Amino acid sequence: MTWYDVYAIFQGAVFTVSISLASIVIGLPLGLGFALIRWSSVPVLDRFVVVYVSVIRASPAVTLALLIFFALPVVGISLGAVTAAVVTLTLSTAAFNTEIWRGALMSFPREQLESARAFGMTRGLRFRRIVFPQLVHSALPALVNEMTLQVKSSPAIAVLGLVDITRAASRVGARTYDPLPPFVVALVLYSLIVAVFVMTQRLIERRRAAEMEALR
Amino acid sequence: MNGFTIVWDNRDVLLSGFANTIALSAIAAVVSLVLGALLAMALMARSKAARIGATVYVDAMRCVPFLLLAYLIYYGLPSFGIRMSNWTSGLIALIVYNVAYMAELLRAAWANLPKESIEAGHAFGFHGLKLVRRIILPPVFFAAVPMIGNQTIQIIKDSAFLTIIAVAELTQAAMAIQTTYFVPFASFVAAIALYWITCMAIETGVAFVGRVAKARQ
Amino acid sequence: MTPPMDDAEAPVVLAAHGVSKSFGANTVLTDMELTVRKGETVCLLGPSGSGKSTFLRCLNWLEEPDAGFIVLKGQRIGIRPSGNIVMNDRELAAIRTRIGMVFQHFALWPHLTVLENVMEAPIHVQRRDKAEVRREAEALLQRVGIADKAGQYPARLSGGQKQRVGIARALAMKPDLLLFDEPTSALDPELVGEVLAVMKDLAREGMTMVVVTHEMAFARDVASRVVFLDQGRIVESGAPEEFFTRPKTDRARQFLLRYSAQ
Ligand SMILES: Nc1ncnc2c1ncn2[C@@H]1O[C@H](COP(=O)(O)OP(=O)(O)OP(=O)(O)O)[C@@H](O)[C@H]1O
Ligand SMILES: [Mg+2]
Repeated sequence: MTWYDVYAIFQGAVFTVSISLASIVIGLPLGLGFALIRWSSVPVLDRFVVVYVSVIRASPAVTLALLIFFALPVVGISLGAVTAAVVTLTLSTAAFNTEIWRGALMSFPREQLESARAFGMTRGLRFRRIVFPQLVHSALPALVNEMTLQVKSSPAIAVLGLVDITRAASRVGARTYDPLPPFVVALVLYSLIVAVFVMTQRLIERRRAAEMEALR
Repeated sequence: MNGFTIVWDNRDVLLSGFANTIALSAIAAVVSLVLGALLAMALMARSKAARIGATVYVDAMRCVPFLLLAYLIYYGLPSFGIRMSNWTSGLIALIVYNVAYMAELLRAAWANLPKESIEAGHAFGFHGLKLVRRIILPPVFFAAVPMIGNQTIQIIKDSAFLTIIAVAELTQAAMAIQTTYFVPFASFVAAIALYWITCMAIETGVAFVGRVAKARQ
Repeated sequence: MTPPMDDAEAPVVLAAHGVSKSFGANTVLTDMELTVRKGETVCLLGPSGSGKSTFLRCLNWLEEPDAGFIVLKGQRIGIRPSGNIVMNDRELAAIRTRIGMVFQHFALWPHLTVLENVMEAPIHVQRRDKAEVRREAEALLQRVGIADKAGQYPARLSGGQKQRVGIARALAMKPDLLLFDEPTSALDPELVGEVLAVMKDLAREGMTMVVVTHEMAFARDVASRVVFLDQGRIVESGAPEEFFTRPKTDRARQFLLRYSAQ
C-alpha cells in the first residue's frame, strides 16, 4: 500500500462525509417541518408523518438505499447513485430529527406563546423570534447526537456502488491482495472524523451542565 | 403488481434470511447486554485503571462506523490465523460494537439509581460482586428497559450492514430475489416490512416489560 | 447525675472514642464520645447540619472517620486488630451485618417484594437456611403489622408501611444494635405514629438502639439517654427528664425552645 492509496481512501472518506453532511443540512429543516405538522395536528398529513417515522426508524440504511436506488425507477423516477444516496440518508435522518424536534416542541412552555400573542406578534414572527431560538437550544444536544449516528451509518451508501470510503478501501485491497491495511486506514480515518462530532457533542453537553449548575 | 407474487413464491428465501437476521440480532443483543453489564461494572469501578480502560473502549466504539468495523473483523481475524464463516465474523462484529452501547446505557441508568438503596446494600453487609449482582443490577436493568429495546432495534438495523460482507441475512435475501427476478420494489418493500414488524414487536415487548418494571422501581 | 444501676452494669455494645470527621475544609465532627450499653435507647438530637447523620454513618463505617475509633462488642470496626490497616470490604461487610440500619428515605430494594426485602440479606449475606429465614421474616412482618403486604413491591406502599418494612428488614439480621436516621422525618404527619409505635415496642423489649430524631416526645418518653449535638460536638448528654426539663447549656435551651414553639 502506497501513500497514494491512503490518499484515495481519504478522498473516499471526504466523499462519504460530504453526502452525509448534505443529508444533515436538508434533514434538519425537513424534520422540523414534519414535527410541526404533527405538533399542530394537521389532518391526514400528521398520520402520514407518524407512519413515515415509524417505518424509517425500523429500516436499515442499507435496505432503504437499495429500495430507493433500485425500486424508484420502477415507478418512473430514476435517480443517480449520488442522488439516491442523499435521498436515503436524508429520509433517514429527517425521521429521527422529527422525533427530536417534536419532543422539544412538546416541552415548550405554552404561556410563552400566549404572552407573545399578547404583544400582538404575528404567527410567523412569534415562531421566528420566540419559539425557534429556544427550540434549537433545547433540541441541540439530541440533534448533534443524531448527526453523529448519521455520519457513522453513512458508509451504508457503499451498496449503491459509489466510490465512498468503503469501496475505496476495497479497491486498494483488491489491487494489493491484502485487504486488511486499507481497512485499518479507512477505519482510523473515518473514526477521527466521527470523533470531531462526538467531541462537539461532549462540549455542548458540558456547557449545558455548567448552565444548569449556574441556574441552581 | 405481480412482483409481490414472485416474492411470495420465493418466501422461503426471504424467510430464511429473516431467520438469520433474527438469530444474529437476538444472540448479539443477549451477549452484548451481558458483556455490557460487565463493562458497565468497569465503567463504575473504584479502580481508575479499569475505568479508563473501559471508557477508552466505549469512546472508541462511539467513533468507529459499524460497517468498517465489520470489514476489519472479517479481514482481520484470518490474519491472526482465526478462520470463521461470514456469519460468525458478522456476529462478532455486532457484539464487539454493541457491547459499548449497552455498557454506556447501563452506566447511565446506574448513575441515576437512588444512592440510598445501594447504601442500604453496604449497610446490610453486601459488597463486591454480590452487591452489584443482587442490589444494583436488577433495578438498573428495569430502569434501562426502554433503552435496551432501542439498542436492540439498532442491532437489527446494524445487522443489515452485514449484507456487504455477504452474510445471508434479510437484506441479502431481498437482494438475491431482486437480482434473479428483477422485482426490486416488491423484494425491498417486503424486507422493510419484516424489519418494521420486528421493531413493532420489540416495542410492544418493551411496553409490556416496562409495565412490569415500573412496579419495581 | 448517676445513671440507673442496671444500665451501668449492662455490657457495652458499641463505643465511639474521639471520632472526628471533615469533608474538605468543613469539619463536621470533633472528638465525639459515645457509649451504648445493651438494652439502651440513645437518642441523638441536634439542629440540622450538626453532624448527626454523619456520626451515625461513622458508627458502621459507611463514612470513614478521620480520627478516633469505634468498638462493637470489643472488636474495633474499620481498623484491623493488628494496627492501623483499614479493613477490606469483606471484613467491613461482615461487621456491618451485626449493625442494623433504618434509613430516612427507607432505602428498600425496589426490585424485591416486601418479604424478599426482609429475607435478602439473611439468605445471601448471612447464608442462613432459607426456610428458617422465611418463617422469621413472616413473623417479623406480622410483628410490625404488615404481614398482608408481604407479596407487594415497595412502590405500592405508603411511607409508614415502607418504614415498618425497613425496620423488619433490619431486625431480620438479628443485629447487636439498630441505628435509625430520622426514621419518621420523610413521613406524612399522620403516618409518624405507626412507626414510632413499633420503635417504642422494640425499646421496651430491650433492643439496643441509637436513634437520630426530631421527635422530641419520642425522645422524652422512650430514650434511656439523650445526646445533644451542635456543630459536630457533643454539648450535653444525660437522662431525658433532666435534658428536657433542666438543660444545662444555652444552646440546648435554644434548641428546645424552637421545638416547643412548633
Ligand atoms: N458526603 C458529604 N460531603 C460533603 N459534605 C457533607 C457530606 N455529608 C455531610 N456533609 C456536611 O456535613 C455537615 C453535617 O451533615 P449531617 O448530614 O451529618 O447533618 P445532620 O445533623 O444529619 O443534619 P439533618 O438534621 O439536616 O439531617 C453538613 O454541613 C453537610 O453539608
Ligand atoms: Mg441527617
